[in-house]
Amino acid sequence: MNVRLMITGRGYPAAESLPANLTLADSATLDEALQAIAGLLPEGEAPSGNCLVAVSGMHLGTVRDHRPHVLGDGDELVLVAPMAGG
Amino acid sequence: MPELSPEEQERYARQIGPGVLSPEGQLCLKRSTALIARAGGMGGPAAMVLVMAGVGRVIIAHGGRLSSPDLNRQVLGSEEALGQPRAESFAQRLRSLNRFVTVDSVDHEPDDEEALALARRADVILSCAPGFAERMRLNRAAVTAGVPLVDAAQWGMSGSLVVVRPRQTACLRCLYPQQPDFEELFPVVGGISSALGSLAGLEAIKILARTGEPLYGRLWTIDAYHGRTSILNLRRDPRCPCCGSENPQGGDCPSFRLGENGTVPFDAQGGPQS
Repeated sequence: MNVRLMITGRGYPAAESLPANLTLADSATLDEALQAIAGLLPEGEAPSGNCLVAVSGMHLGTVRDHRPHVLGDGDELVLVAPMAGG
Repeated sequence: MPELSPEEQERYARQIGPGVLSPEGQLCLKRSTALIARAGGMGGPAAMVLVMAGVGRVIIAHGGRLSSPDLNRQVLGSEEALGQPRAESFAQRLRSLNRFVTVDSVDHEPDDEEALALARRADVILSCAPGFAERMRLNRAAVTAGVPLVDAAQWGMSGSLVVVRPRQTACLRCLYPQQPDFEELFPVVGGISSALGSLAGLEAIKILARTGEPLYGRLWTIDAYHGRTSILNLRRDPRCPCCGSENPQGGDCPSFRLGENGTVPFDAQGGPQS
Protein backbone atom coordinates (compact mmCIF):
# COMPACT_ATOMS: atom_id res chain seq x y z
CA MET A 1 0.00 0.00 0.00
CA ASN A 2 1.00 3.62 -0.41
CA VAL A 3 1.03 6.31 2.25
CA ARG A 4 1.48 9.97 1.37
CA LEU A 5 4.26 11.63 3.32
CA MET A 6 4.58 15.21 4.50
CA ILE A 7 7.48 16.31 6.67
CA THR A 8 7.59 19.93 7.67
CA GLY A 9 9.01 22.25 10.29
CA ARG A 10 12.54 22.53 11.59
CA GLY A 11 15.10 20.89 9.40
CA TYR A 12 12.78 20.11 6.48
CA PRO A 13 15.66 20.24 3.96
CA ALA A 14 16.97 17.01 5.52
CA ALA A 15 13.81 15.27 4.32
CA GLU A 16 14.35 16.23 0.67
CA SER A 17 15.54 12.72 -0.10
CA LEU A 18 12.27 11.14 1.00
CA PRO A 19 9.67 10.10 -1.57
CA ALA A 20 6.27 11.78 -1.66
CA ASN A 21 4.69 8.34 -1.26
CA LEU A 22 5.90 5.62 1.05
CA THR A 23 5.32 2.03 -0.06
CA LEU A 24 4.60 -0.25 2.88
CA ALA A 25 3.21 -3.72 3.47
CA ASP A 26 -0.56 -3.90 3.84
CA SER A 27 -1.69 -3.13 7.38
CA ALA A 28 1.67 -1.66 8.27
CA THR A 29 1.76 0.13 11.59
CA LEU A 30 2.78 3.68 12.30
CA ASP A 31 5.91 2.41 14.02
CA GLU A 32 6.86 0.45 10.91
CA ALA A 33 6.34 3.54 8.79
CA LEU A 34 8.53 5.61 11.10
CA GLN A 35 11.24 2.94 10.91
CA ALA A 36 11.02 2.99 7.13
CA ILE A 37 11.38 6.78 7.10
CA ALA A 38 14.41 6.65 9.39
CA GLY A 39 15.96 4.06 7.07
CA LEU A 40 15.55 6.32 4.04
CA LEU A 41 17.14 9.38 5.64
CA PRO A 42 20.88 10.04 5.72
CA GLU A 43 22.61 8.74 8.81
CA GLY A 44 22.04 11.00 11.78
CA GLU A 45 18.98 12.66 10.22
CA ALA A 46 16.28 10.55 11.85
CA PRO A 47 13.21 12.58 12.89
CA SER A 48 13.45 14.06 16.37
CA GLY A 49 11.56 12.22 19.09
CA ASN A 50 9.64 15.45 19.63
CA CYS A 51 8.24 15.57 16.09
CA LEU A 52 4.45 15.63 16.12
CA VAL A 53 2.87 12.71 14.30
CA ALA A 54 -0.51 12.75 12.57
CA VAL A 55 -2.24 10.36 10.22
CA SER A 56 -4.88 11.71 7.85
CA GLY A 57 -5.41 14.77 9.98
CA MET A 58 -5.49 13.06 13.38
CA HIS A 59 -2.73 13.90 15.83
CA LEU A 60 -1.42 10.75 17.50
CA GLY A 61 1.39 12.11 19.67
CA THR A 62 5.10 12.46 19.06
CA VAL A 63 7.59 10.19 17.33
CA ARG A 64 8.79 9.17 20.80
CA ASP A 65 5.37 8.70 22.41
CA HIS A 66 2.30 8.08 20.25
CA ARG A 67 -0.79 5.98 20.06
CA PRO A 68 -0.49 2.71 18.16
CA HIS A 69 -2.06 2.98 14.74
CA VAL A 70 -2.53 0.73 11.73
CA LEU A 71 -2.14 2.60 8.47
CA GLY A 72 -4.39 2.24 5.47
CA ASP A 73 -3.78 2.68 1.77
CA GLY A 74 -3.98 6.36 0.86
CA ASP A 75 -3.40 7.68 4.37
CA GLU A 76 -1.37 10.85 4.76
CA LEU A 77 1.39 10.65 7.34
CA VAL A 78 2.46 14.08 8.60
CA LEU A 79 5.52 14.73 10.74
CA VAL A 80 5.89 18.25 12.14
CA ALA A 81 9.34 18.92 13.54
CA PRO A 82 9.32 21.36 16.47
CA MET A 83 9.31 25.00 15.50
CA ALA A 84 9.46 28.18 17.54
CA GLY A 85 9.00 31.84 16.75
CA GLY A 86 11.01 35.02 16.75
CA MET B 1 -19.30 51.17 28.83
CA PRO B 2 -17.31 52.55 25.87
CA GLU B 3 -19.13 52.89 22.58
CA LEU B 4 -17.67 53.42 19.14
CA SER B 5 -17.29 57.08 18.26
CA PRO B 6 -18.29 58.29 14.78
CA GLU B 7 -14.56 58.49 13.97
CA GLU B 8 -14.04 54.89 15.05
CA GLN B 9 -17.06 53.75 13.05
CA GLU B 10 -15.55 55.41 10.00
CA ARG B 11 -12.14 53.84 10.67
CA TYR B 12 -13.50 50.31 10.93
CA ALA B 13 -16.25 50.53 8.30
CA ARG B 14 -14.51 48.10 5.93
CA GLN B 15 -14.38 45.32 8.53
CA ILE B 16 -17.95 45.53 9.83
CA GLY B 17 -20.51 43.55 7.90
CA PRO B 18 -21.54 40.05 6.80
CA GLY B 19 -18.70 37.54 7.01
CA VAL B 20 -16.45 39.83 9.00
CA LEU B 21 -17.27 41.62 12.26
CA SER B 22 -20.62 42.67 13.66
CA PRO B 23 -20.92 46.11 15.27
CA GLU B 24 -21.06 44.27 18.60
CA GLY B 25 -17.92 42.36 17.66
CA GLN B 26 -16.12 45.60 16.90
CA LEU B 27 -17.15 46.88 20.32
CA CYS B 28 -15.83 43.67 21.85
CA LEU B 29 -12.46 44.40 20.26
CA LYS B 30 -12.47 47.88 21.73
CA ARG B 31 -13.15 46.47 25.19
CA SER B 32 -10.45 43.80 24.88
CA THR B 33 -6.82 43.48 25.84
CA ALA B 34 -4.32 41.37 23.90
CA LEU B 35 -0.91 40.36 25.19
CA ILE B 36 1.75 39.68 22.57
CA ALA B 37 4.94 38.08 23.80
CA ARG B 38 7.76 39.10 21.44
CA ALA B 39 6.82 41.59 18.79
CA GLY B 40 9.45 40.50 16.28
CA GLY B 41 9.03 38.68 12.98
CA MET B 42 5.67 37.16 13.84
CA GLY B 43 4.56 39.17 16.86
CA GLY B 44 5.14 42.46 15.05
CA PRO B 45 2.68 41.79 12.22
CA ALA B 46 0.29 40.26 14.75
CA ALA B 47 0.44 43.45 16.80
CA MET B 48 -0.12 45.58 13.71
CA VAL B 49 -3.16 43.55 12.76
CA LEU B 50 -4.66 43.90 16.23
CA VAL B 51 -3.92 47.60 16.55
CA MET B 52 -5.30 48.40 13.11
CA ALA B 53 -8.41 46.29 13.81
CA GLY B 54 -9.15 48.31 16.94
CA VAL B 55 -8.30 46.06 19.89
CA GLY B 56 -8.62 48.45 22.81
CA ARG B 57 -5.35 47.66 24.54
CA VAL B 58 -2.37 45.85 23.10
CA ILE B 59 0.51 44.91 25.39
CA ILE B 60 3.77 43.94 23.73
CA ALA B 61 6.64 42.32 25.62
CA HIS B 62 10.05 42.23 24.00
CA GLY B 63 13.49 42.73 25.48
CA GLY B 64 16.74 43.91 23.97
CA ARG B 65 17.70 46.45 21.36
CA LEU B 66 17.03 46.32 17.65
CA SER B 67 19.94 44.93 15.63
CA SER B 68 20.63 44.68 11.93
CA PRO B 69 19.79 40.96 11.54
CA ASP B 70 16.32 41.69 12.97
CA LEU B 71 15.42 43.77 9.94
CA ASN B 72 14.98 40.83 7.56
CA ARG B 73 11.64 40.15 9.28
CA GLN B 74 10.80 42.52 12.15
CA VAL B 75 8.41 44.88 10.39
CA LEU B 76 8.08 47.20 13.38
CA GLY B 77 11.77 47.99 13.12
CA SER B 78 13.52 50.46 10.86
CA GLU B 79 17.00 51.65 9.97
CA GLU B 80 16.42 54.69 12.18
CA ALA B 81 15.54 52.49 15.18
CA LEU B 82 18.69 50.36 15.07
CA GLY B 83 20.21 50.22 18.54
CA GLN B 84 17.05 51.40 20.28
CA PRO B 85 15.13 49.31 22.83
CA ARG B 86 12.76 47.18 20.81
CA ALA B 87 9.70 47.32 23.05
CA GLU B 88 9.20 51.08 23.23
CA SER B 89 10.36 51.66 19.67
CA PHE B 90 7.87 49.08 18.42
CA ALA B 91 5.14 50.52 20.66
CA GLN B 92 5.66 53.99 19.18
CA ARG B 93 5.32 52.58 15.68
CA LEU B 94 2.12 50.79 16.68
CA ARG B 95 0.66 53.93 18.27
CA SER B 96 1.25 55.76 15.00
CA LEU B 97 -1.10 53.29 13.28
CA ASN B 98 -4.23 53.93 15.31
CA ARG B 99 -4.97 56.75 17.72
CA PHE B 100 -8.01 54.90 19.08
CA VAL B 101 -6.06 52.13 20.81
CA THR B 102 -3.67 51.99 23.76
CA VAL B 103 -0.33 50.26 23.33
CA ASP B 104 1.69 49.31 26.40
CA SER B 105 5.23 48.01 26.25
CA VAL B 106 7.16 45.67 28.53
CA ASP B 107 10.89 45.95 27.87
CA HIS B 108 11.85 42.42 28.86
CA GLU B 109 10.69 38.83 28.65
CA PRO B 110 8.34 38.23 31.60
CA ASP B 111 9.19 35.54 34.14
CA ASP B 112 6.55 33.10 35.41
CA GLU B 113 5.05 35.50 37.91
CA GLU B 114 4.87 38.46 35.56
CA ALA B 115 3.58 36.32 32.69
CA LEU B 116 0.69 35.19 34.86
CA ALA B 117 -0.01 38.74 36.02
CA LEU B 118 -0.08 39.92 32.41
CA ALA B 119 -2.23 36.96 31.39
CA ARG B 120 -4.79 37.91 34.02
CA ARG B 121 -5.08 41.35 32.40
CA ALA B 122 -5.54 39.89 28.93
CA ASP B 123 -8.45 38.42 26.98
CA VAL B 124 -6.14 36.64 24.56
CA ILE B 125 -2.42 35.84 24.52
CA LEU B 126 -0.30 35.60 21.39
CA SER B 127 2.85 33.58 21.85
CA CYS B 128 5.44 34.50 19.24
CA ALA B 129 8.54 33.66 21.23
CA PRO B 130 11.68 32.12 19.75
CA GLY B 131 12.19 29.37 22.31
CA PHE B 132 10.19 26.61 23.91
CA ALA B 133 10.90 27.66 27.50
CA GLU B 134 9.19 31.00 26.90
CA ARG B 135 6.36 29.45 24.91
CA MET B 136 5.69 26.93 27.66
CA ARG B 137 5.72 29.75 30.22
CA LEU B 138 3.05 31.57 28.24
CA ASN B 139 1.11 28.34 27.86
CA ARG B 140 1.16 27.82 31.64
CA ALA B 141 0.05 31.40 32.21
CA ALA B 142 -2.75 31.10 29.67
CA VAL B 143 -4.04 27.82 31.10
CA THR B 144 -3.83 29.08 34.67
CA ALA B 145 -5.56 32.34 33.83
CA GLY B 146 -8.13 30.65 31.61
CA VAL B 147 -7.23 32.89 28.67
CA PRO B 148 -7.10 31.62 25.05
CA LEU B 149 -3.61 31.25 23.60
CA VAL B 150 -2.59 31.65 19.97
CA ASP B 151 0.85 30.16 19.41
CA ALA B 152 2.74 30.93 16.22
CA ALA B 153 5.98 29.17 15.33
CA GLN B 154 8.35 29.18 12.37
CA TRP B 155 11.48 27.70 10.87
CA GLY B 156 12.91 28.55 7.46
CA MET B 157 9.95 28.98 5.12
CA SER B 158 7.57 26.89 7.21
CA GLY B 159 5.43 27.58 10.23
CA SER B 160 2.52 26.55 12.36
CA LEU B 161 -0.37 27.95 14.34
CA VAL B 162 -2.00 26.37 17.38
CA VAL B 163 -4.99 27.88 19.16
CA VAL B 164 -5.61 26.73 22.73
CA ARG B 165 -8.88 26.97 24.59
CA PRO B 166 -7.65 26.26 28.12
CA ARG B 167 -8.75 22.94 29.60
CA GLN B 168 -10.99 22.28 26.64
CA THR B 169 -8.50 21.75 23.81
CA ALA B 170 -4.90 20.55 23.71
CA CYS B 171 -2.36 22.94 25.19
CA LEU B 172 1.29 23.17 24.12
CA ARG B 173 2.32 20.83 26.92
CA CYS B 174 -0.12 18.22 25.60
CA LEU B 175 1.75 18.41 22.28
CA TYR B 176 5.24 18.43 23.74
CA PRO B 177 5.41 16.35 26.93
CA GLN B 178 9.17 16.84 26.78
CA GLN B 179 10.36 20.31 25.93
CA PRO B 180 12.17 20.23 22.58
CA ASP B 181 15.56 21.81 22.18
CA PHE B 182 15.48 24.77 19.86
CA GLU B 183 18.24 27.09 18.76
CA GLU B 184 17.85 30.80 19.51
CA LEU B 185 19.15 31.70 16.05
CA PHE B 186 17.51 29.76 13.24
CA PRO B 187 17.00 30.34 9.54
CA VAL B 188 13.88 32.29 8.65
CA VAL B 189 12.59 34.42 5.79
CA GLY B 190 10.46 37.44 6.66
CA GLY B 191 7.63 36.49 4.34
CA ILE B 192 6.66 33.43 6.39
CA SER B 193 7.01 35.42 9.64
CA SER B 194 4.62 38.09 8.42
CA ALA B 195 2.15 35.53 7.08
CA LEU B 196 2.05 33.60 10.35
CA GLY B 197 1.91 36.74 12.47
CA SER B 198 -0.99 38.11 10.45
CA LEU B 199 -2.85 34.81 10.73
CA ALA B 200 -2.19 34.69 14.47
CA GLY B 201 -3.62 38.19 14.75
CA LEU B 202 -6.64 37.14 12.75
CA GLU B 203 -7.27 34.19 15.08
CA ALA B 204 -7.13 36.57 18.04
CA ILE B 205 -9.61 38.91 16.36
CA LYS B 206 -12.01 36.01 15.73
CA ILE B 207 -11.79 35.02 19.40
CA LEU B 208 -12.22 38.52 20.75
CA ALA B 209 -14.98 39.57 18.35
CA ARG B 210 -16.84 36.23 18.62
CA THR B 211 -16.84 35.74 14.88
CA GLY B 212 -15.90 32.91 12.56
CA GLU B 213 -14.49 29.60 13.77
CA PRO B 214 -11.26 29.92 15.73
CA LEU B 215 -8.77 27.12 15.17
CA TYR B 216 -9.32 25.78 18.67
CA GLY B 217 -7.83 22.32 19.05
CA ARG B 218 -6.17 22.32 15.65
CA LEU B 219 -2.67 22.84 14.34
CA TRP B 220 -2.26 24.57 11.00
CA THR B 221 1.04 23.87 9.29
CA ILE B 222 2.15 26.01 6.39
CA ASP B 223 5.08 24.70 4.37
CA ALA B 224 5.71 27.58 2.01
CA TYR B 225 8.97 26.02 0.80
CA HIS B 226 7.08 23.14 -0.81
CA GLY B 227 3.76 24.94 -1.25
CA ARG B 228 1.83 22.60 1.08
CA THR B 229 -0.46 23.06 4.04
CA SER B 230 -2.39 20.86 6.40
CA ILE B 231 -4.66 21.15 9.40
CA LEU B 232 -4.34 18.55 12.15
CA ASN B 233 -6.93 17.80 14.82
CA LEU B 234 -5.06 17.81 18.10
CA ARG B 235 -5.49 15.28 20.87
CA ARG B 236 -5.72 16.67 24.38
CA ASP B 237 -3.74 14.61 26.88
CA PRO B 238 -5.80 13.87 30.00
CA ARG B 239 -2.51 13.24 31.83
CA CYS B 240 -1.05 16.59 30.77
CA PRO B 241 0.75 18.08 33.75
CA CYS B 242 -0.43 21.53 32.70
CA CYS B 243 -4.08 21.16 31.69
CA GLY B 244 -4.93 17.48 32.15
CA SER B 245 -8.41 16.60 33.35
CA GLU B 246 -6.83 14.21 35.84
CA ASN B 247 -5.35 17.14 37.74
CA PRO B 248 -7.80 20.00 37.07
CA GLN B 249 -6.72 22.07 40.05
CA GLY B 250 -3.07 21.12 40.36
CA GLY B 251 0.05 20.41 38.39
CA ASP B 252 1.91 23.21 36.68
CA CYS B 253 -1.18 25.28 36.10
CA PRO B 254 -3.52 25.64 39.09
CA SER B 255 -6.59 27.35 37.76
CA PHE B 256 -8.39 30.24 39.35
CA ARG B 257 -10.67 31.43 36.59
CA LEU B 258 -12.55 28.19 36.07
CA GLY B 259 -16.26 27.80 36.49
CA GLU B 260 -17.74 25.48 39.09
CA ASN B 261 -17.70 22.57 36.64
CA GLY B 262 -14.00 22.99 35.98
CA THR B 263 -14.39 24.63 32.60
CA VAL B 264 -13.23 28.02 31.46
CA PRO B 265 -16.12 30.47 31.52
CA PHE B 266 -16.37 31.10 27.79
CA ASP B 267 -19.53 32.64 26.49
CA ALA B 268 -21.85 30.94 24.02
CA GLN B 269 -19.90 32.22 21.03
CA GLY B 270 -16.63 30.77 22.22
CA GLY B 271 -15.02 33.97 23.45
CA PRO B 272 -13.78 34.37 27.01
CA GLN B 273 -16.26 35.99 29.33
CA SER B 274 -15.22 39.48 30.23
